[in-house]
Formats: sequence, structure tokens, C-alpha cells
Amino acid sequence: MTEPRFDQLKERLAEVDDLRNAGSLLFWDQRVMMPPGGSAARAEAIATVSTIAQEHFIDPDIGKLLEDLRSFEESSDYDSFEASLIRVTRRDYEKATRVPPELVGEMRKASAVALSAWGPAKEQSDFELLRPHLETNLELRHRYVECFDRAEETYDVLLDDYEPNMKTAEVREIFDGLKEQLVPLVREIADAGPVDDSFLTGEFDVDTQREFGLEIARRFGYADDEWRIDQTPHPFMSSPGSGDIRLTTNYRPDDLSSIFATMHEFGHGVYEWGVDRSLARTPLGTGVSLGVHESQSRTWENLVGRSRSFWRFFYPRLQEAFPEQFGSVDEEAFYRAVNKVQPSLIRIDADEVTYNMHIILRFELEQELIEGRVAVKDLPEEWNSRMHEYLDVEVPNDARGVLQDMHWAGGGFGYFPTYSLGNVISVQIWERALEDLGDIDERFERGEFGELREWLTEHLYRMGRKFTPQETIERVTGSRIDSKPYVRYLRQKLAPQPA
Amino acid sequence: LTVTTSAPPLERLKELLAEIADIRHTESVVDWDSRVSMPHAGAAARADVSATLTRLAHERFVSDEVGELLDELGSLDEDSVDAALVRVTRRDWERSRQVPTELAGEMSHATGVAVAAWDEAKASSDFASFMPHLERQLELKHRYIECFPATDTAYDVLIEDYEEGMTTAQVAEVFAGLKPELLRLIEHAREDPVDDAPLRGPFPLSGQEEAGRRVLAAFGFDEESWRLDETPHPFASKPGLGDIRLTTHSDPKDLTSVFSTMHEFGHGVYEFDVDSAFARTPLGGGTSMAIHESQSRTWENLVGRSDGFWRWFYPQLQGIFPEALGAIDAASFVAAVNAIRPGLIRGDADEVSYGLHIILRFELEQELLADAVAVRDLPEIWNTRMKEYLGVDVPDDAHGVLQDMHWSIGLLGYFPTYQLGNVISVQIWDRAREDLGDLEDDFARGEFSRLREWLREHIYRHGSRYPPRELLQRVTGSDLDSGPYLEYLRTKFA
Repeated sequence: MTEPRFDQLKERLAEVDDLRNAGSLLFWDQRVMMPPGGSAARAEAIATVSTIAQEHFIDPDIGKLLEDLRSFEESSDYDSFEASLIRVTRRDYEKATRVPPELVGEMRKASAVALSAWGPAKEQSDFELLRPHLETNLELRHRYVECFDRAEETYDVLLDDYEPNMKTAEVREIFDGLKEQLVPLVREIADAGPVDDSFLTGEFDVDTQREFGLEIARRFGYADDEWRIDQTPHPFMSSPGSGDIRLTTNYRPDDLSSIFATMHEFGHGVYEWGVDRSLARTPLGTGVSLGVHESQSRTWENLVGRSRSFWRFFYPRLQEAFPEQFGSVDEEAFYRAVNKVQPSLIRIDADEVTYNMHIILRFELEQELIEGRVAVKDLPEEWNSRMHEYLDVEVPNDARGVLQDMHWAGGGFGYFPTYSLGNVISVQIWERALEDLGDIDERFERGEFGELREWLTEHLYRMGRKFTPQETIERVTGSRIDSKPYVRYLRQKLAPQPA
Repeated sequence: LTVTTSAPPLERLKELLAEIADIRHTESVVDWDSRVSMPHAGAAARADVSATLTRLAHERFVSDEVGELLDELGSLDEDSVDAALVRVTRRDWERSRQVPTELAGEMSHATGVAVAAWDEAKASSDFASFMPHLERQLELKHRYIECFPATDTAYDVLIEDYEEGMTTAQVAEVFAGLKPELLRLIEHAREDPVDDAPLRGPFPLSGQEEAGRRVLAAFGFDEESWRLDETPHPFASKPGLGDIRLTTHSDPKDLTSVFSTMHEFGHGVYEFDVDSAFARTPLGGGTSMAIHESQSRTWENLVGRSDGFWRWFYPQLQGIFPEALGAIDAASFVAAVNAIRPGLIRGDADEVSYGLHIILRFELEQELLADAVAVRDLPEIWNTRMKEYLGVDVPDDAHGVLQDMHWSIGLLGYFPTYQLGNVISVQIWDRAREDLGDLEDDFARGEFSRLREWLREHIYRHGSRYPPRELLQRVTGSDLDSGPYLEYLRTKFA
């Protein structure tokens, strides 16, 4: 059945998608290619292009088309491309039209200003430089929340931008479960005595790291004519168009973190890469939520990239690449070192277990900030006392404490929980994949990762945004989001074995 | 919500133009990325993005609102920057409005198809497969020309797109003055060839990059605002203020990359030095193709092939390429990079042959447009004239009529601006030396800042504030004049 208004809608959305792709490219270029002197002009161009994209999306014509297409939607199969596109667009449209463009502009500007204050504040470890900007960001978030129907909790509205349909109460329940299990696990591991990972620090030739990371990525499915990888201080993934996947990683001369960052970003990239090409140039042509996205970056970084079988294949190669560092370190010692659990100050350097405590702390503080239960000025003190409580570490200064992440300066309140939700979801999907694929370790030991990638593409990636995150997870795993498999996985892998 | 519409008309116009400039900035990054960094498979999605951006910029610019604002503003005080802004905007707006959207769409579509056909035709040296596309481009050009008020010749409309205020008659007159002199010099060179042994290499690519970067550093390239990359076809682009990107092409068999780097620097420095107050307005770029080319040719030829420049740089180049150049003295090297060597390809041509390549194209474009030459006869006529002008035999169309992409993307009327650039470069150069005295001694010390500063002051900073002929008048005190260029050629090559 052809429905001319559906084609019109598609055409309008394709234009919006083109603008968003152009915006992604401007952003990628700014981080990777642009000479620093171009930043002021680039900020203007990015603002203009995103404003135009927003204007085109909230155009009343689109609202009218969506109204006219109601019966067409109802007569189409729920799973069909047509019904999904109309359904998802309607949800996006209803959210987007709630917020006056002036407020969107103000929020964007305030974030830009706060981000430029965050840099020096972190460098000088001076929270006071950032404080007024955080206050402005929070005050704007309140105005943003007011644009929507009253939710059970204020935080629900913020969370919904990153994890659609997810409620604060659900996250709290999941995180409470995690906290209850992880705090004792961290203690047990600490009691079992230290793991030697001293050989992970040293001199690691950057070109060799680059080649090694690329070899892994290629084994995972990276192809030169569709992907590229560059160096940036903060790794990220960007896909400015179908068939165009760009990863970045950070090669540090004194450790191997670039390899894990590469696998992490590969996971984001392969998700975008696996979205069905027929969804390109529509709002359905991307990953469904940040949590599900993160589940895939964590799958490739941790479930694959920190597994025994993965290193069974790659460790001899790593020893060959860095003979001085690893010539006399056996595989088991290396495996234990890259899986070492040790409470520390910095989220992005944290191990698989303590990482979640970093997130839970942020999740709690965000709610307290938005509800006014913690004042911005008291944030450093709150931060430090909870770091002590949850991880038993002393924060020496704000640069290594409350100022370490850029998210709040960028206005991203509600973003952090998606990182841990990703961890939780990753293992739910993983268990389901293993049921189908059987002994995957045996394939990993041979350096073969294609079957896993194909399974994930078939069961998850290709769906893009056709369904809600919850529906997506249910379709893949047959169950709702559930922290038990993740906790089980962590225990099995990392809890000290009784001697 | 009505705040914006109640803004004073000039402010509102600037706001609209700034948004359009931002879209153009985006187009420029998108285009640069397609040629430098995009994974191959991204091409299809990229074509959609480019088309959308181009269409949106066009729609926004030709809007009634822009016209109404221009009407409200009328003419402003003659000498001000704002008056220039309004003048340039009005001219562009009126020209854009002459062309119906459907025709613009057809032209853009035909270009996409033709450039792909050209690519294949060139690869297989098969003119017949490109012929229908060229015929289509010509037909569209006729329809395009009809959108504008009648001019002396149809070709005038096309030139005006690239070189404001220039007419076919003027170009013809300038070229008529050049042609016999160029033919005479070619004849002369054929009788007395220069040894090209100094340029036979090998020139390892890493050495070429080193050489290019050293020259750029001395010219004024800095990492804060510039970058240099490698592409098959060199170009320069400026997405926005403080962001200048050059590309070059290196071949281990020769040193053309060094000259193409200097050429693109000339384009880049013109853009870099435009007054930053003009950013995000239509005044923020170079004023015309010919003036732009005059600057790329200045840095490539007038500076980059001069004795003084090589007195400074040749010892360094010998150090970089000891195997190829260790036994070659400076005088033979300079003679070799300035030799007249008639060849088949415009892009590789020496200063003298280059002019004849352009004159050939200028003649053929007019004849095609006037139906004096049929598209199917083009290869034969091309080859005959190449023999006549440059004494070379064209072995196949890939090295003949199919060598340039321009016609496939609808660029008719563009070629003459290259040679006008050569002519203008010497007009400006003579004027600069009147002020600065001898520059060769500066160059011999690796010192280029007096020249750059003079060019910035007199040309670059003005951006598009003055139309090209007015700028030339202001700088040199005269209109387009081939005299200085002829004199330069005679002195250098006779």
C-alpha cells in the first residue's frame, strides 16, 4: 500500500537526518581534524546547523502529517517500518515541541559556556570556577522539566532524554540491588590480597599500539572502506552517515588503555554499523538508547576483550609486539592484571566492579541536586564523603573528584545511569547469545568473532530504533531489564576462589 | 517570538547571512571530508547530506525576506563596509532569483550524473560515452543564459558568474595580445630545449612533505590555523575563520607537490588574511576567481620559481634529496623548474604553455555555445589545435579533451579566470615592488613577510568588499592589462 503522506513524512525526516549527520561531521571534524584557530567559527556553525535541524523537525507540517497518518499507522503491522517510523517520530515530535526553541538555545549556550569553564576549573582544581555555571545549568533543567507533564519524580524527565521510558524508580531498584551485592564483593576481593599489574605500566610504542588495536578491530569486523580510527584525548564514536563509522581512541605512551578504548568504541560503532540500511535517513536509523548502546561497547570491551579466550588468541601476539614488557609475564598473570579490581578515584579508569559505584554515586547526587536536597556549593564535600563511604578512597582534590567528568558542565544530568544500565543489559544479552552460539570461547581462542557479531546484528543491531528500549531488550532476551545476570557474571569472574 | 522581525533591517539581514554562511561552512567541511577523510563507503549518504545543505542554503538565500530587507535598505553610504555588504548581497540575490528552482535542480542533478560519466570516460578514454552528458550540460547552459537579460554574447553571462564585471570581449582582447607572444616563446623553446635532468628524481614522498612544510612555515603557515593533507587533486578550503586547509599531491617521480603546495598556499593566505570582521558575511572570502588565482600564481610562480627563493631553499632541498640533487648546481635546477616544455596536460604545464591551454579552452567554449563546433567534433578539433599551438600530438582523449573535470560539472566560462589570474598577478607584483623595492634579497634570506604584509594590506584584508575590477584599479591604478605580464614573459623567457 502506498500512502503519499507517509512518503512526504519520510522526505521531511530525511532532510532532518541529513542535517544531523552534517552536525555530527562538524563535531567529529572539530575534535579530530580542525586546526584550533577554527573553534569560534565552528561553534557558530554547529549551533546554526542544530537549530535548523530542530526547526525543521518541529515544523507544524510534520505534526499535521503525523495526525493524518494515524489511521494508516493503526492499519499497519506494529512491527512494520511504517508503523514504527510514525510511532517513534510522534514520540520524538511530542517531546521536541514541548520545549520552546528559546529555551533550547539558552540551554545550549549555557552548556557551551559551562564546558569552557570546566576545562580551567579541572586544570586548577578549583570548583568555584564551575559552581555558578552548574547552578545555571540546574536552573535551566528545572525550566526544561516544567515543559512536560508532571512526572512521578523530577528526575524522570531528565532520564527520559537518554533512556526513553525508563523511570527513576526502576533505576533505583536496579542500582540498590547492585550496591547491595557489589559493596561486599569489593571487600572480598580486597581481602584476598593484591594482584600484580605493574607490568601494565611502562613504555609502549604508540605506533605498535595503533597497529595492535587495528588488528583487533579488524578481527572484530572493522573494514577499511567503511571505518576509520583516529586519535583524540577523549575517545568517542561517530557515524556521520550510513557506511561511515568513525572511532577514536587515545594512545598513551605509558599504558595499554588505548586497546580497551578501541574495543569499547568498536562496540558503539558496530551497533550503528549493524542497523538495517533501510532505516537510514530516518529517526529509526540509529541505536535505541544510551543504555543499550553502552551495553554493546561494554560487550566488546569487557565481555569479549577481557575474557580468557580472547587473550588466549591475542596474548602471544601482544607479547610479540611488546617483548620487553611481556616476555616474562605469563598469560594467567596478564589476564588477572587486566581484570584487577581495585577502588580508585577516576571513573573512566575504573574496573568492571567499582565502575558501577562511581555511577551510583553520580546517580544519587544528580537526584539530590535536582530536588534541591544538596546545594551545588556542597557538592565537593558530599562527593568526597561518599567516595570514602562507597569505595574507601580519599579524594585529594576536586580535579580528581567532582570535577573529573564534563557531563554536568555540558548539562547532561540523567546521562550517567545509562553507563551502568549498559553493564547490566550487556550480560543479559550475552547470556542469550551464548545459549544460541554454544561454546563461543573456542571461536575466540582462534581469533574468530564473526559469529558473535552476526548474532548481535541479527538479534539487536538491525532493529535500530524501531521499538522502545524496553521492547528491544525483551525481544532480544525475553525478559525485562534485570541486574541478576550481571551480578552473577561479576561474581563468577572476579570473586576470589576459596583456596 | 517576533523579536527577530522587528530588528533593524541591516541587523536582520546580517543574521540571515550569518546562518547561510554557517551552512556554507558546513558544506565546506563536508566537501573537504569527502576528499580527505571519509571512508569510501560513506559516499552515498554523503551525497544526500551535500544536496540537502546546498538546497537549504539556496532556499534561505533566495527568500522573499532577503529581497524585502534589501529593498528597505536601498543604497547605503558609498564607502562603508555595510554598503559593500548590501551591494554584494543584492547582486547575488538578483542573480540567484533569475534562475528558477527547477532549472537549478536540473543543473545540479545533471552535474552529479555527468561527473560520474566523465570519470569513467576519462578512465577508458572514451569520449563517445561522455558526449551525451556534455550535450546536456550545454543545453542547460543555454536555458540558464536565457534567464538573464540579453548581453553582447551569451558567453558573457557565464563569465559573470566567476568574474564580476568581466566581458567576453575584454578577455578576448587580452588573450589576443598574449597568443602570438606565447606561440613565439614556444617556438623558441622548441629550438633550444632546457635539460630536465635535475627534475628526474627520485624524490621520496617523506622528503617532499618535509620540503613542502618548510616552505609553508617560511611563508606563514602555522599549526594553530592551518593544515596540510594529501589528495589526488590539490585544493584549498576555508570552512571558517581561523581554519585554512590545503592539500597537495605528491608523486615520487617529480617535484610538482612543492609547487602545488605553494600554489594552494596562495589561495589559503588570501582567505586567511581577510578582515576577521567580515566573517560570516558574503564579504568574508576572495573577491573573484581571477584575483584568487593571481595570488596562487604569485606564490607558486613569482615567488616560488624566482632566483631569490631558490638561493634560500635550494641548499635545503639538496639536503633533503642528496641522491637526486647532490650533483646538480643551483643554476641548472632553477633553469629546469622554469623551462618551457610543451605538453599535453594543463595541470602540469609550464608558465608559457599554460596560457595556450587556456586560450584553447576559451575558444572552444565559445564555439560550442555558438554551435560553431559540434560536441561530436570536439576531440578532433582539440587535437588539431594542440598540434597547432603547442606542437604536441594527443595520443588519446584521456590526455586530450577529457583531461579536465570542469565541463562535466557545468563550469563553462571558468577556464579564462586561470589565465586572467596570471595576467593580474604580474600587475599586482609590479605595484608591490614599486613600494617594497627588490624582493629577491628578502626571499634569499627565507624572508617573505614584507611581501605578505603588503598583499594583506592592499588585497587580502578587503575580502569581497570591492568587485574585482575596482580592487585592481585601487591597487594598481589600472584596469586589466596584459602589458606587465607580457613584459614579464619576455624578460624571463626570451
